[in-house]
Amino acid sequence: MSSSIELRGIEVDSILRGISLRIEAGESVAFVGRSGAGKTTSLRLINGLVKPTRGDVLIDDVPLARTDLVALRRRSGYIIQGSGLFPHRTVYDNVATVPRLLGWDEAKIKSAANEVMSRIAMPLERFGARYPRSLSGGEQQRVGIARAMVANPSMLLCDEPFGALDPIVRRELQETFRELRSDATIVFVTHDLVEAMRVAQRVVLFDDGRIVSDTPSADFPKQQLPLVRQFVAAASLPS
Amino acid sequence: MTAEILRVTGEHMLIVAIAVGVAIVIGIPLGIYCTRNPRAGRVALRVIDAIQTIPSLALFGFLIPVPFIGGIGMRTAIVALILYSLLPIVRNTFVGIRGVDPVVRDAGVALGLTTRQLLFDVELPLAMPSIVAGIRIATVIGIGVATIAAAVGGGGLGTFIFRGVAMVDTRLILAGALPAAALALIADVVLSAVERKMIKG
Amino acid sequence: MKRFLALALLLAACSQKKPIVVGSKNFTESVILGEIVARKLESAGCTVDRRMNMGGTFVCDSAMTSGALDTYVEYSGTALEAILKQPKADVAAAYAKRGLHWGPPLGFNNTFAMIVRRDDAQRIPLQSISDLAKVAAQFRPGFGYEFVERPDGWNGLLAAYGLTFATPPKTMDLGLTYKALASNEVDLIAGNSTDGLIESLGLIALADDRHYFPRYDAAIVYRDDIDRKCSGASKALESLRGTLDDAAMRRLNFEVDGKKRDAAVVAHDALGR
Repeated sequence: MSSSIELRGIEVDSILRGISLRIEAGESVAFVGRSGAGKTTSLRLINGLVKPTRGDVLIDDVPLARTDLVALRRRSGYIIQGSGLFPHRTVYDNVATVPRLLGWDEAKIKSAANEVMSRIAMPLERFGARYPRSLSGGEQQRVGIARAMVANPSMLLCDEPFGALDPIVRRELQETFRELRSDATIVFVTHDLVEAMRVAQRVVLFDDGRIVSDTPSADFPKQQLPLVRQFVAAASLPS
Repeated sequence: MTAEILRVTGEHMLIVAIAVGVAIVIGIPLGIYCTRNPRAGRVALRVIDAIQTIPSLALFGFLIPVPFIGGIGMRTAIVALILYSLLPIVRNTFVGIRGVDPVVRDAGVALGLTTRQLLFDVELPLAMPSIVAGIRIATVIGIGVATIAAAVGGGGLGTFIFRGVAMVDTRLILAGALPAAALALIADVVLSAVERKMIKG
Repeated sequence: MKRFLALALLLAACSQKKPIVVGSKNFTESVILGEIVARKLESAGCTVDRRMNMGGTFVCDSAMTSGALDTYVEYSGTALEAILKQPKADVAAAYAKRGLHWGPPLGFNNTFAMIVRRDDAQRIPLQSISDLAKVAAQFRPGFGYEFVERPDGWNGLLAAYGLTFATPPKTMDLGLTYKALASNEVDLIAGNSTDGLIESLGLIALADDRHYFPRYDAAIVYRDDIDRKCSGASKALESLRGTLDDAAMRRLNFEVDGKKRDAAVVAHDALGR
């Protein structure tokens, strides 16, 4: 069960100056661009953390303005840099957050948690009772992924989730993420082009509050736009 | 005399307990309010700050002629002490909640917690060490300030201190001062332990 | 030239009168009397350093014996019972042994008065201190710190009259006891017979039927060496002998407590008359 996402004529203060975009259910899209280009703001429009000054956001063709945001957020997964795990709760309680909000019974929660934790290679028996502060950065982010995915969200919103981790761990997590093969519609913000091309099928390039390119991942480096050239060069991709 | 010392110690603890209790009931919600409404919050904090600067004896004195809450006796002492206990509690609640990692708060909202759930399940538990510290400070200060209650007929350990000063009798002064110091020390130790238990992550 | 200047300065210093330190206890009557003493000394050409509202009897007395204070007004009963702890002694002789002069009596007796509200007195009824036995179970006493501690205070009274009160006394700043009685926070206080507020607040003093309280004749106490600080001092103080009777003192107290006038101004007017 996945959702379609549409941004129509979006303006947000001086950060976004006219964004229109449609993502079909089940697609995985990367938002790339330089810092301050508007990619995170665009992401946060989708679950209503940011409100547009102009324009509409539609999820499954229903405008956000007419949607219960709390219910929508419980149907989506959100992964951020730094993981945002609740430090005063165990790993298990963190992962169980959304299922509990949705009113699942504990048995169902336990089995879903077991499943997702084994998929991120952090079995519940070993890690369930631990607190976030006793985990490494990479482990914390894995738990963050598990927490976002445990309730089978229809959308997965990721805001530079691997940004604060060292390159080796980052690579591992990118692989893990890919192997998770979620049905959800995925929107993944990153400034790392290589990462974008690894985790997503489609790359949308933001610059100065506007979308300047929107192509399948493989086609991205082939474009002649100067900004694309810069990105490619910086990522040292073979052209 | 021992029986009397015990009696006034009991009075003293009662005054502080009631005052800090009420200050908690008023102060924590007020602190939460200040985090939600920054402008009103700033004004509120400034007012409470100003109250703190009033010398304690003066505050007790100001309250005497006020109808309902004033007069001469324990009630006036309790009201004055409530006012003094507000600042540490309100401020520490405010700072504690604001000090919650914004990433954690952001995650909470994004996962679909309502504002109420965010407050009770995330913000307050994480702000607890700070809040308990505020309660501890209010209690320790309160035990000291409560000695002034005796000046307005409020009872408490100050009774012995004032009597000792009037009679130039060190023994009487100590009869009041030592138990007060002991109470403050015990309160500090106990509440520090509680504070430490509250720190999670 | 330098030697001349030094000599001049030395002479100036010698002829400079050192200030006489005048103190008072911390209740209205004591402050008024302190001001009267201070002004009398000033009109005799002495410089005066005022230390009014100093605290109670014992603070003033310790200051006198240590030399921090040169003079204040004390009461005979207080001196005998509380300070000297010799109720039958000759107060002047006993003070002389301490290097202090028990000076001229001012002319009034300010004894302790056990005071209740007028409607309680009419209702129960209460006329004398012995009558308090009728209400010892319900009445809430309230006193200043001294009365509760002094042997010639509350405990002595309870023993002399064979009374036992169910409620222990509330203690507070002496000045607040009248207010506490008037606003029903307490039912019995220990006031002074010359207090200005007794009538104006609808209160009444109970008769001391067993004559428990001694006389408290007000007298000026001063250090034997006071004339060394200012040569006319003791003469000026002696001239105040017998200048204030009970009624006059009560009037002065009312000027301050009832009409809220400044004690110093009231003292000034009193001397002028």
